[in-house]
Amino acid sequence: MNINPVLLKELKVRMRGWKAAGIIALYLLVLTVVAVFIIYTTFMDPYSSNIDPQVSIGAYTALAVFQFMLIMFIVPALTAGAISGEREKQTLDLVLCTRLKPISIITGKLFASTSQTLLLIIASFPLFSMVFLFGGISIKEVMQLFGFYIVTAVTIGCIGIFFSAHLKRTTASTVFTYGTLAFLAFGTIFIGVFYIRIFYNWDYNKFLPILYSNPLTGFGSLLAEQFGYYGGINAFLGLSAGSGQNPNAANAISPWLGNIIFDIVLSAVLLILSAARINPVRKSIFSYIRFRGRKKKKASDSI
Amino acid sequence: MLSIRNLNKRYGRFQAVSELNLDVPEGEIFGFVGPNGAGKTTTMKIICGLLRATSGEITLDGVDIIRNSRRMKEKIGYMPDFFGVYDDLKVNEYLEFYASIYNIKGQERKRITDDLLELVDLGSKREAYVDSLSRGMKQRLCLARSLVHNPRLLVLDEPASGMDPRARFEMKEILKNLKGMGKTIIISSHILPELAELCTSIGIIDQGRMVISGSNEEIMQQVYNKKVVRLKVRDRLDDAVLILKEYPFVDKLVIGENTIQAGFGGGDGEMSRVLSDLINRGIPVVSFAQMDGNLEDVFMKVTKGDDEQ
Ligand SMILES: Nc1ncnc2c1ncn2[C@@H]1O[C@H](COP(=O)(O)OP(=O)(O)O)[C@@H](O)[C@H]1O
Ligand SMILES: [Mg+2]
Repeated sequence: MNINPVLLKELKVRMRGWKAAGIIALYLLVLTVVAVFIIYTTFMDPYSSNIDPQVSIGAYTALAVFQFMLIMFIVPALTAGAISGEREKQTLDLVLCTRLKPISIITGKLFASTSQTLLLIIASFPLFSMVFLFGGISIKEVMQLFGFYIVTAVTIGCIGIFFSAHLKRTTASTVFTYGTLAFLAFGTIFIGVFYIRIFYNWDYNKFLPILYSNPLTGFGSLLAEQFGYYGGINAFLGLSAGSGQNPNAANAISPWLGNIIFDIVLSAVLLILSAARINPVRKSIFSYIRFRGRKKKKASDSI
Repeated sequence: MLSIRNLNKRYGRFQAVSELNLDVPEGEIFGFVGPNGAGKTTTMKIICGLLRATSGEITLDGVDIIRNSRRMKEKIGYMPDFFGVYDDLKVNEYLEFYASIYNIKGQERKRITDDLLELVDLGSKREAYVDSLSRGMKQRLCLARSLVHNPRLLVLDEPASGMDPRARFEMKEILKNLKGMGKTIIISSHILPELAELCTSIGIIDQGRMVISGSNEEIMQQVYNKKVVRLKVRDRLDDAVLILKEYPFVDKLVIGENTIQAGFGGGDGEMSRVLSDLINRGIPVVSFAQMDGNLEDVFMKVTKGDDEQ
């Protein structure tokens, strides 16, 4: 099997020296401090007994939220310059004139620029696993959470790559990437609330489809379900949808699962569009139309 | 080997290349000469699959480049008119990266990298960071990069521009070496003399059109067979132009701020006749002299000649 040469080259550079290892160590240290702090303060709580799973759930939630925020904030910064940076350094043409396919360049760049984040996520796995020593959380749930992390990180990476491929400047690309993320996280909620307020006909037992695109609701619902509680999202919207016993909510696909499906489809579309964008000899619909238009004009000229 | 037929490239409404035809037989070194903005880079990028032609046909060994872009890229090496180097890589890693793209592995990759570094005289810089190289060295490294997959056709966009004379000399030696290895090379420049001794054939492009092309000898003959006369006036430049245009043996006028440069077909007798005519008709002539057959001036004549007639 051939490893993508772009990915291989970038990994070589990124993992050179002690910097990469240092960042991982520092990150794990910060996570540990957060976990220990939460566990410590819960133990100190005079109203809780020592073996309360509440302890591990508190620490787990804190770590999970912390890591999720990290993904949301860091991945755009790392990916939004991936292609535009090559353009600015004038190295893009040099790989485009080789036999490498545009889609390989795009995926190589995607995984290279998300590699550090993915590495941090994977390195934190043992720490999360420690939490279930205290009970309350199972290994399966930790795996679910990590699957959600990885899909979210790669999707945000694809958004960054997409703007990076379409916009000339890294700054513009960064702004648009964070903007898109802000829209997915908050804009969709506003639209949802707006829709309900205007039309007043929302069936409160159903989940708003637009929120399947929302990473926050996806993440929130995943944690809520893990704690055996199914009303998470609509509660988030201020719609008291009842509790986990709600049959409609149980029939519908879980928001986090819906979010993962949405993410995978979106990523695939963005990658294909990005590859098409950097392909210098792609057939453009516009040039085809113009070409035909000119032919017609010539024909009418000769009459 | 390479054949271009009726190539056109438009950027929006702007026609950068129009109806360009070009043939480069196997083993030739073709000098592609034209002033800045003539369309050299555009043409070269189209050959290398980095730009889509508006219309026209390009074939390499009879195979359509535009339709078989990926397969043809294995046969073409491209050196752009900028460096484009990754600063955070070492010299050998840089070449190994491009070799890995072409599936060259292990010992062979190392051998090719070493050979190429030897060829461009960077053997001692293997372990240096690309960042630390001088401009000339970076340019040579770029040349080495364009050779990793042993292409048959090399497309070099202004490889000697911005170099000091010594670096330029070294680049020339390397290119002569490549010529000896039997590569077919297209090399562009906005300075004709730079290419004169290196190329086997030359084409001159201006405003997207091929003005003349032919073997080195043919072009040099065309370029040398006429005198170039340079006239400087204090005033009444336009009247002087009109007077000069009356003479059939004066052509290809290039008009400056208060100078006129013209191709001159006659001998000394005609020259003195034109001069006395100008003075008799009250043109304030400051100087009137024949330029030596400097290639650059003649090149100006060739490229600018058309619009002044
Ligand atoms: N991407 C582009 N968009 C619009 N015009 C361009 C573009 N690239 C080049 N041009 C124009 O096309 C002409 C030819 O450019 P180029 O091929 O780079 O010339 P040369 O390499 O001979 O100096 C120039 O006038 C340039 O301004
Ligand atoms: Mg150029």
